[in-house]
Amino acid sequence: MTGRVGHPPYIGHSQVSEVRLERSQMNRFTDIMSYKNMTKELVILLGIAIVIGFTANYFSPKGIALFGEWDTSKGVITAKSKEDVVVRELEITDVPVAKKMYDTGKYLFLDARSYEVYEEGRIKGAVSVPVGGFYDVADTFIEKYPLSTGIITYCSGRECDDSHELAQYLFDEGYTEIHVFIDGYPAWKAEGYPIE
Amino acid sequence: MYLLTAIRLGKRRDIPLNKHIRKLLDSSWAELTVRWFLGIIFIYASYHKIIEPAIFAKIIYGYDLFPGFVINLAAIFLPFVELICGCALVLGIYPRSATLIINGMLFAFIIALSVNLIRGHEFDCGCFSFGETGHVSPAGQLLVRDIIYFALGLQVFFFNGQRKWCIIKSGFLKI
Repeated sequence: MTGRVGHPPYIGHSQVSEVRLERSQMNRFTDIMSYKNMTKELVILLGIAIVIGFTANYFSPKGIALFGEWDTSKGVITAKSKEDVVVRELEITDVPVAKKMYDTGKYLFLDARSYEVYEEGRIKGAVSVPVGGFYDVADTFIEKYPLSTGIITYCSGRECDDSHELAQYLFDEGYTEIHVFIDGYPAWKAEGYPIE
Repeated sequence: MYLLTAIRLGKRRDIPLNKHIRKLLDSSWAELTVRWFLGIIFIYASYHKIIEPAIFAKIIYGYDLFPGFVINLAAIFLPFVELICGCALVLGIYPRSATLIINGMLFAFIIALSVNLIRGHEFDCGCFSFGETGHVSPAGQLLVRDIIYFALGLQVFFFNGQRKWCIIKSGFLKI
């Protein structure tokens, strides 16, 4: 019996590799990547990223405006997201004005920074309400301070919006007289006003 | 540039190179591993930026290198560049161009980090997101990490063998 007659010659493992290598080398000459091809690919990849990026941002509940407010001379910086907490009308932009309000004794100063930072130094008489833990202390706070209390929130300056965020939480709880001292503890300390 | 030149020279057959390094540089499996690694890293890196664009915008602001009108546009656009290029690397779609973009971003990041390291500018403090101050990113560590990623990117970019598991391969590169 001559069962193997007519079969194609057996191709060994090394021969298969050689065939692949030849094809690879052949491609080297037929499929060279030109600058034109690369530019086309870059445009496609970046174009897809632009289209998806701006579309997703438009529909996302956390999307931001195309242009933010990054000039500290105009107030607290903000990316102007759909969840933006910065409200310019609440801002006290002059340190002496904040001091005058402090001197009236009618306002409760709330420190929105972390408790550790508050412990290191704070406006004299300020109460610590770290913005991240507001709802842990909200009930106790409302019991202690009636909704008619005048409140001034602050954090670490114009690059920090935690004071604005805390103000929004307080509005949600029903407080109505709230201001945000945007220059915060560093400016207060620099002016030599009372700290502890 | 020295690294780039070294790798380009390493790819040239007429230049003697340790045979194990040569084998590794020419290995399709090594290329696949590096490509997937970079792809997954960049997909992961894009996630938090896409979820919280406002925080990412503040981090860009924190570098203190970019004009205000660029910050939001970059915060919207860059995370999706990372995502798309990461996916392109994993799926094998235009891997060389995707790596070029990724390495471009890494290069810009390395420059930005270096500038801030040199001028001693502290950035990415916790006050941008979690109400904490005093937190500073370990810029030196970030720099080393990104230089490693950049070198891995060069391996994918200059690889001229048969790439495994690619949907749309890039053409061969004349070196």
